[in-house]
Amino acid sequence: MSEMREQVRAYIVDNFLFGDDNGLEDSTSFLESGMIDSTGILEVISYLEEQFAIKVHDDELIPENLDSVGNIVGFLGTKMAAA
Amino acid sequence: MSSISHQTLIHQFLEESARALPDKCAMVHGKERISYENLNREANRIARWLMDHGVAPGDRVALMLENCREYLSGYYGILKAGGVAVPLNPDLKPDGLAPLLSRITPRGIISSAKCERVLREIDMPALSIPALLMARPRLKWSDIPLTVGSFGEIAATGDGRNPDLPLDETSLASIIFTSGSTGQPKGVMLSHRNIVANTNSIVQYLELTSADIQMVVLPFFYVMGKSLLNTHVAVGGTVVINNTFAYPASVVQQMIDEEVTGFSGVPSTYAYLLHRSPLRSVRDRLTSLRYCSQAGGHLASHTKVDLIKALPEHTKLYVMYGATEASARLTYVEPHRLHEKIDSIGIPIPGVTMKVVGENGEELPQGETGELVAEGTNIMQGYWHDPESTAKALSAHGYHTGDLGYLDRDGYFFVVGRRDNQLKVGGHRVNPQEIEDALIDTDLIMECAVLGIEDALAGHRLVAVAVPIAGETTERDILQRCSQTLPRHKLPSEIRFVKALPKNSSGKIDRAACKKLVH
Repeated sequence: MSEMREQVRAYIVDNFLFGDDNGLEDSTSFLESGMIDSTGILEVISYLEEQFAIKVHDDELIPENLDSVGNIVGFLGTKMAAA
Repeated sequence: MSSISHQTLIHQFLEESARALPDKCAMVHGKERISYENLNREANRIARWLMDHGVAPGDRVALMLENCREYLSGYYGILKAGGVAVPLNPDLKPDGLAPLLSRITPRGIISSAKCERVLREIDMPALSIPALLMARPRLKWSDIPLTVGSFGEIAATGDGRNPDLPLDETSLASIIFTSGSTGQPKGVMLSHRNIVANTNSIVQYLELTSADIQMVVLPFFYVMGKSLLNTHVAVGGTVVINNTFAYPASVVQQMIDEEVTGFSGVPSTYAYLLHRSPLRSVRDRLTSLRYCSQAGGHLASHTKVDLIKALPEHTKLYVMYGATEASARLTYVEPHRLHEKIDSIGIPIPGVTMKVVGENGEELPQGETGELVAEGTNIMQGYWHDPESTAKALSAHGYHTGDLGYLDRDGYFFVVGRRDNQLKVGGHRVNPQEIEDALIDTDLIMECAVLGIEDALAGHRLVAVAVPIAGETTERDILQRCSQTLPRHKLPSEIRFVKALPKNSSGKIDRAACKKLVH
């Protein structure tokens, strides 16, 4: 789990924060903080689908699954357990 | 409430709804709800604070906020103080913000924690901005020589009566910067009269009443978002703010939970709703959804047909056309004629007249293509401090939209493309919109932009930037299908696949940014 967290976090920091992870908590909302916009969210989804071999369904596109590092890790945990 | 109002000033819509329906819910945002009486009271307190801090009729006040409760009370508060509301994109960076502020020289700024860091980087004393009203501030402001008020405290206490300033209906109410694709943004000047007239027309053709509940995913700083606010406040309806359209499933769920009656979007909103949301599987639960409306650019007819199929049977689709310069709206397609006029932008809304004008300013007969020119009480006063652009856009004929189109024998208008967006490809004149429609028609593409890349031999080479619906789609699949409908010279020489198209802040495709992806 912690490896997954680090992987997701590193992806967000590299791709959206230009390598500066200052202020990125596990609970920081991507949208509210303005860190990632709606186009960026789609990139995050594509990354998750490729990297973790999952399929994010349309009805799973909710902030509770995807809007922070913590939410993503929780969501990945559920998806992989169900796989 | 009656659908046609006698108000002459924008904020009188709010005052009338607060008087007639004091306990009615004006706004929902997450768990927060506010009644008309409380919203009006908050706006009055904001107005009085602004007046106490030197805002006089005609003074500009910048509104740099995401969609939220403070946006509503701040917007109406500025208008009640006689000020000119200048909505700005809260995602602006200092480089983009500073030049706009120096152009509008505001007496104050209303903003929130989201913009604090950017505002701290702006030299406000140098720009002679004396007052700042902050919602939910996180930083300390005491080291900066300007008055900083806490929005929450000011809105909660003090005299909440309407200030009732004597204002003329022709006085300037708002300056809205257009998201033009070239050059610096232009500040569209709209008077109270412009916006009131357009609000009344929209209320009339959408048949809005106090029973209407609107899901708002478009920003209020964009003219279409702003018209959603004005029209619903005018009828005493409710706006449901949801700033998380990036997660469409959560928006659809809230539409069910709040029994939303209206949803509005630009073309990309509907592309996402169709292809990246559970709309189809939950349509039976959208029992209250009376209508959807679309504006903000051309939506391929194929997408319109898919959308009608995906929406509940009782939901009407209003296809509309407008411009910031028209306070928002110019034409609409009556829903019962949509199938028959699927590619049309419709008929003029009440109070607007439109005609097709040729190169020399002459009115063209039915069927001939020229520039669409509109007249009405809703047409802007001009561009802020820009007489040259104003003279180009406004003539004795009215407002020149920059769109090329024609009129059919039933009085319906059709847009064929932007005047400045026509491409020359190997001697042929090509309209990118036609090719974009053909790409969408393949059923393989979610959204796309067709660009003309300068080419020494052909003039332009056509390159499509496209988002495929399924990951395994190939360029060959698409071209094969397009070749059945398009002549060879209109087939893109290249299709570049991307995960999402770059958009500007109002969700419209950013063609300049798309071009950078290709180069």
